Amino acid sequence: MSVKIGFLVNPIAGMGGRVGLKGTDNVLDKAVKLGARPVARQRAEDMLAEFTALSSNSHDIIWVTCGGDMGSNELKAAGIKNPKILYSPSRKTTLADDTKNACRKFLNQNIDLLVFCGGDGTARDIFTIVDKKVPLLGIPAGVKMHSGVFGITTNATAKMLDEFINKRLTVGDAEIMDLDEELYRKGEWKVRLFGIVKGIIEPTYIQVGKTCFESVSDDEVKDELTEHVKEEMDKHQDSLFLFCAGGTINYIAKKLNLEHTLLGIDAVYQKQIVAKDVNEEQILRLLKKYSKVKILLSPIGAQGFILGRGNLQLSPTVINRIGIDNIIVVATPSKLIHTPILRVDTGDKKLDHLFARQGYLMVVIGYRFSRVVKLQTNTF
Amino acid sequence: MMTQITKRNANKFLKDEFDELVKNHFEWNIRILESGSKPHSIVNGKEVIMMCSNNYLNLSNHPRLIKGAIDAATKYGAGSGSVRAIAGTLKIHIEVEKRLAKFKRTESALIYQTGFAANAGLIPQLVGDGDIVISDELNHGSIIDGVRLTKADRAIFKHRDVGDLERVLKEADKKYRRILIISDGVFSMDGDIAPMDKIVKLANEFGAMTYADDAHGEGVLGEDGRGIGAHFHIEGKIDVEMGTFSKAFGVVGGLIAGSQDLVNFAYNKSRTWLLSGSHPPAVSGAQLAAIDVLETEPEHVKRLWDNTTYFKKELKSLGFDTGDSETPITPVIVGDSGKAKELSNRLFDEGVFALPIVFPMVARDKARIRTMMNAGLTRKDLDVALDKFEKLGKQLSIL
Repeated sequence: MSVKIGFLVNPIAGMGGRVGLKGTDNVLDKAVKLGARPVARQRAEDMLAEFTALSSNSHDIIWVTCGGDMGSNELKAAGIKNPKILYSPSRKTTLADDTKNACRKFLNQNIDLLVFCGGDGTARDIFTIVDKKVPLLGIPAGVKMHSGVFGITTNATAKMLDEFINKRLTVGDAEIMDLDEELYRKGEWKVRLFGIVKGIIEPTYIQVGKTCFESVSDDEVKDELTEHVKEEMDKHQDSLFLFCAGGTINYIAKKLNLEHTLLGIDAVYQKQIVAKDVNEEQILRLLKKYSKVKILLSPIGAQGFILGRGNLQLSPTVINRIGIDNIIVVATPSKLIHTPILRVDTGDKKLDHLFARQGYLMVVIGYRFSRVVKLQTNTF
Repeated sequence: MMTQITKRNANKFLKDEFDELVKNHFEWNIRILESGSKPHSIVNGKEVIMMCSNNYLNLSNHPRLIKGAIDAATKYGAGSGSVRAIAGTLKIHIEVEKRLAKFKRTESALIYQTGFAANAGLIPQLVGDGDIVISDELNHGSIIDGVRLTKADRAIFKHRDVGDLERVLKEADKKYRRILIISDGVFSMDGDIAPMDKIVKLANEFGAMTYADDAHGEGVLGEDGRGIGAHFHIEGKIDVEMGTFSKAFGVVGGLIAGSQDLVNFAYNKSRTWLLSGSHPPAVSGAQLAAIDVLETEPEHVKRLWDNTTYFKKELKSLGFDTGDSETPITPVIVGDSGKAKELSNRLFDEGVFALPIVFPMVARDKARIRTMMNAGLTRKDLDVALDKFEKLGKQLSIL
């Protein structure tokens, strides 16, 4: 069976990094004037070279791509002949619209996977068009790479691609994260969750016989997590539960028949939503009414942040009032494989210190099933 | 006229699911031994050097065990007539348990129908709601199943990592009533040994109970093969030493050894023990003889270890990676899964029977042939096996 892969390079991704800009979104001219050099093309070529060296199956792959530095040049340099070119940018410098137009063309071709080279900005542009229709795999080349679709290095990306083609990896949820531009304009460097896409993940296995294992789908693991959360809510009927942002929590909420806000925090009391998409101020008001509160969190993005990225409403004041012992962290085992360390960056040194002193956190990875995971509080 | 309404096809899934397994090559191809489990067995009509049985000490065909079985059958008959709790406890069952406790140097011991029955029956009784089981991440499936039957929470610690165990214990200490730490004694995939002495020490600090599944250590580790407790000189200090008669002892049946309190609790509470028929007398007779043999013929354990040391050393000098094994389970790490399967098939064709272990049981690049030593193999047998490993290892570019 052949695999059809869409291949897309954002040639200007990563150019802002060396000249101290937070990405190239809307500031490309400035970056070039400051002496920025293209990096994406090299990264893409490195990944392709590593992949062709690894892959034994390359004859089964149909590549579809874009003209010039948006894909075909890189494929050519890696010795991959005759990719089908679906889109060519009309100008020399590319824009977000070029990425989006290319994605529309890819979707018409029923690709199995979209491999792209860029950063969080590129991932976001792709997300707006592709959504959950096709799994994504990112070659890291941007300045910001908080989204959960990137390989850690070009080499890791090449391996993941090879494993996916050989059906040893499966498809699961991944978060698209990026700088919150509104806050950024006010001078705050905060990363926010933009949406959930399909990424490629390590399957979870259970032993069914002495030498026989069965892989369990990501959804089955999340069903177990749901059972766990349901029992916690039954046990603590007098507690208010704050369901935080992200794909895992969203899945759990849906299974509990709650209309959860994917990108925000909802307050749930006795299995009913009492407040939707609450901000810090609203949470503080709720805390006056409910004396017992639990926070239900899952790490989001590539770096395993549980606090400080995406859940900004959980300010230090909020967490201090609720108490760090009342935080329930849930995660699928496949997520922990890629983010073996959980990170906290609350913006409050004293609170971060409290987490640091703990050093490790019990993370729920299945029904009544947990493991300890290292906690880190230094920021990037 | 009667019309037959077919609501649903009750049995269709049986064939569908089996066909699916066959399609993916996941079905078991059962190999048939025509000879009994011996160092040289006839498997599917072919004579092979046996390197994948659990009959470590070659006791399953020992004359004293066979005689023990026959004598017990002659005296007590073929079956036991009942479950142990009602009318199925024969004098010989009690005899085995007394002898076993003495052998394990514990206060008491109890025989279960199988090792699986011991884990699945006892673990769910030791912990319940409000308790936690802390388990090595590579523990055997029967432990996992035992744990699944409890209402207790579960946590895992990194393989053989006492530091990680301590971190889990610290967290668990805050909010649980009882804590039960479970680990395999010898891990069946890699042949490495759990640091049971350190685990027991740590458990005592936290008031946690310890449970070692010593299926692959029984008859193998410690003085005269008395198991993991003897190996670390902590006999009687592991709260539950669980094991089996089906491996080195050469018979069948699960066992636990520990305090009299443990045994009293266990037989009154384990549903598997209470609800399955007791061992036929022949089984008990052979078990008794196996303990006799271990106590009076130390040469079997010695030969097992001599063979193991020689085989490991020679494999290494040929250039094979044998991992972290410290026991008669020696993995020959091949790397790629396909290659491991290929090597196993070709070894069989050449007269050596050893099974491949592939992903996800082991990491993707750590697929291996798992060899299990047998005390009845001669130096010549081992040299033949090593020759085949070398020849095929070169042919498959592993060496």
